Amino acid sequence: MFKQVFLFIALLAFAVNVAACATPTAAPTSAPVKVVETKVVEQTKVVEKVVEKVITPTPGPAAPKPGSIVINGAGASFPYPLYSRWFFEFAYVNPAIRVNYNPIGSGGGISQITAKTVEFGGSDAPMTDAEYDKAKGVQMFPIVAGPVVPVYNIKDDAGKMITATLKFPATALGDIYLGKIAKWNDPVLVSANPGVTLPAKDIKVIVRADSSGTTYTFTDYLAASNPEYKTKMGGANKLPKWLPSTLAGNQNPGVTALVQNTDGAIGYVEISFAKEGKLPYGSVQNKAGEYIIATREGVQAAMADFGNDLGDKLVASIVNGPSKTTYPISTYTYLMIYMDQTDCVKGKAMFEFFKWAMSPDGDKFAASLDYVPLPDAVQKLVEAKLSKVTCQGKPF
Amino acid sequence: MNQTQNHPRTSAPLLGMSKAHFARRKITNIVMLSLTGAATVLAIIPLLWITLYVTIQGSRFLNIEFFTQLPTPVGVPGGGIVNAIVGTGLVVGVACVIAIPVAIIGAFFAADYPNTPLGLAIRFGTDVLSGIPSIVMGIFAYTIIVLPQRRFSAFAAGVALAIIMLPLVLRTTEEMLKLVPRGLREGSLALGASNWKTSVQVLLPAALNGVVTGIMLAIARAAGEAAPMLFTAFGSTGLVTDLNESTATLPHTIYIYAMSPFKDWQEKAWAAALVLIALVLGLNILARALTWWRARQMGLNY
Repeated sequence: MFKQVFLFIALLAFAVNVAACATPTAAPTSAPVKVVETKVVEQTKVVEKVVEKVITPTPGPAAPKPGSIVINGAGASFPYPLYSRWFFEFAYVNPAIRVNYNPIGSGGGISQITAKTVEFGGSDAPMTDAEYDKAKGVQMFPIVAGPVVPVYNIKDDAGKMITATLKFPATALGDIYLGKIAKWNDPVLVSANPGVTLPAKDIKVIVRADSSGTTYTFTDYLAASNPEYKTKMGGANKLPKWLPSTLAGNQNPGVTALVQNTDGAIGYVEISFAKEGKLPYGSVQNKAGEYIIATREGVQAAMADFGNDLGDKLVASIVNGPSKTTYPISTYTYLMIYMDQTDCVKGKAMFEFFKWAMSPDGDKFAASLDYVPLPDAVQKLVEAKLSKVTCQGKPF
Repeated sequence: MNQTQNHPRTSAPLLGMSKAHFARRKITNIVMLSLTGAATVLAIIPLLWITLYVTIQGSRFLNIEFFTQLPTPVGVPGGGIVNAIVGTGLVVGVACVIAIPVAIIGAFFAADYPNTPLGLAIRFGTDVLSGIPSIVMGIFAYTIIVLPQRRFSAFAAGVALAIIMLPLVLRTTEEMLKLVPRGLREGSLALGASNWKTSVQVLLPAALNGVVTGIMLAIARAAGEAAPMLFTAFGSTGLVTDLNESTATLPHTIYIYAMSPFKDWQEKAWAAALVLIALVLGLNILARALTWWRARQMGLNY
């Protein structure tokens, strides 16, 4: 009797344990799905009937299951707000395709596409020759453009956050990141910003901790606008050796959060992070001497300044352009794919997504999040390049 | 508790000890008692604080949708984390399937042959393994599974978690098996039961309490790991049930949401943290309850 009770308890305990391990794995495989069937009858009447049926996974070329083709991407965090929105909306356009994107930073995107662990990578910085050597057959192409903005969090002497749009003279940002301008009430900033009372606070300089395309664009601008910066720190760099006094955040979200939490901070992020993160961002003096606040037009002017010749690599720097309306810290953000795809189904699905993203349907979401769609001429270049992509050596 | 009070108070000093001596002992006792008491309270405070704080912060944003909906991008209201909940279950499930049998069978060996070279090696190896930071398991799984397969997957994440769970389950099981009275084992063998029958039908049931507790604690620990998930599970916005696909997990989701500058996501991070804590706490309480219940059934007084 005792032994039976004993065994029973043992079994029960085991069952509970196994259940604890296994229950969450139980997956909803076949759920009733409402399918709306629309039939056009005699060109005039549209009859709609709702049929409830259970879609079961059947062998053979049946209608693809929602999310049955998964495409993974990783890289730049600069375009992440737009990408996540695109993937979300694209699921309504073609439910069979699901795109995942992990915003690990541009440097991470380049290394993951090199390791072929993802189908596409994202980067705001062009790949270097050394990086191309390691990832043979990778092609970059721009998908959208956008501005990098200087964000700040300054509390005035009364403890209130300054929400005014600060003006940053051409060399000011370079001097701040060199440590030459160390206080918010530095004469350079004060004289550029009449009407704003800047406190005598130290400027806490925030940078990116990871290898970043946003940093690349920002330093590209600093080097172009501030000769002293260029001599001391060199040109555009994904991960420069900043002053030891800088604070570093991970990806655009990390920098935004760090600026939000640091009084006297300045940082640089893609504009939608500034807006969603409720941080004020400054206007920047461009090459023509105008103070420009980041807008769609400013970035369009920047793209126009540098023409539509992106070369065979399809990359171009568009910082510090000469026009009066140009926003000087602008960049294309790029996707990276292999020109010869190994998985034809995924490759095809990926192109369907790219095509949609660059179409007016996709542009709509870009505009609503302050990204700027490509000029038609550049888009044609991209489409021409994408049409040359093959799958296992054969054209699609 | 207060031993000195129970001493018979005699007018004559006891064994030459003065009244002052007793007073000093009494004061020392009170001081030390309150110190240990205070330390105990201090030790409990973080747990209560975290639990309360997360509950207050997280419960405001909890609703049914949170458990049933897929996540939405920034700026689109609503959405939930059903994918992360299912993903965590999937990944931990894989880890259980891999780690538990190996750990229990290994523990039998280590407990039966404690002083053989292999027995010593198991014990030493698992001790070292449990000290390795979890992020290293992530890189390991990334290198041996993700890179060759060229895809991030729930399976790779499960392997990383299995390596984290393995030493925990193995060591607790081994300790529990060692606590089983020798007589039980010898009795079983003397009655003619084979070695494996003794192990499975006598030793394991006798040690089951501790084993189940160990497993639950290991699951709780594994379910909360964010670092290895970065390299393995990768994250996903969809509901994933295929082991070969990348998937969202609760800790990784919390990491992404908490780091984000978006208020909406930060709120979701609190709610997700509450879900994770409830899950882990629930598992721990379940483990305790099982132990208590079984002890009572067997008429044991623990």
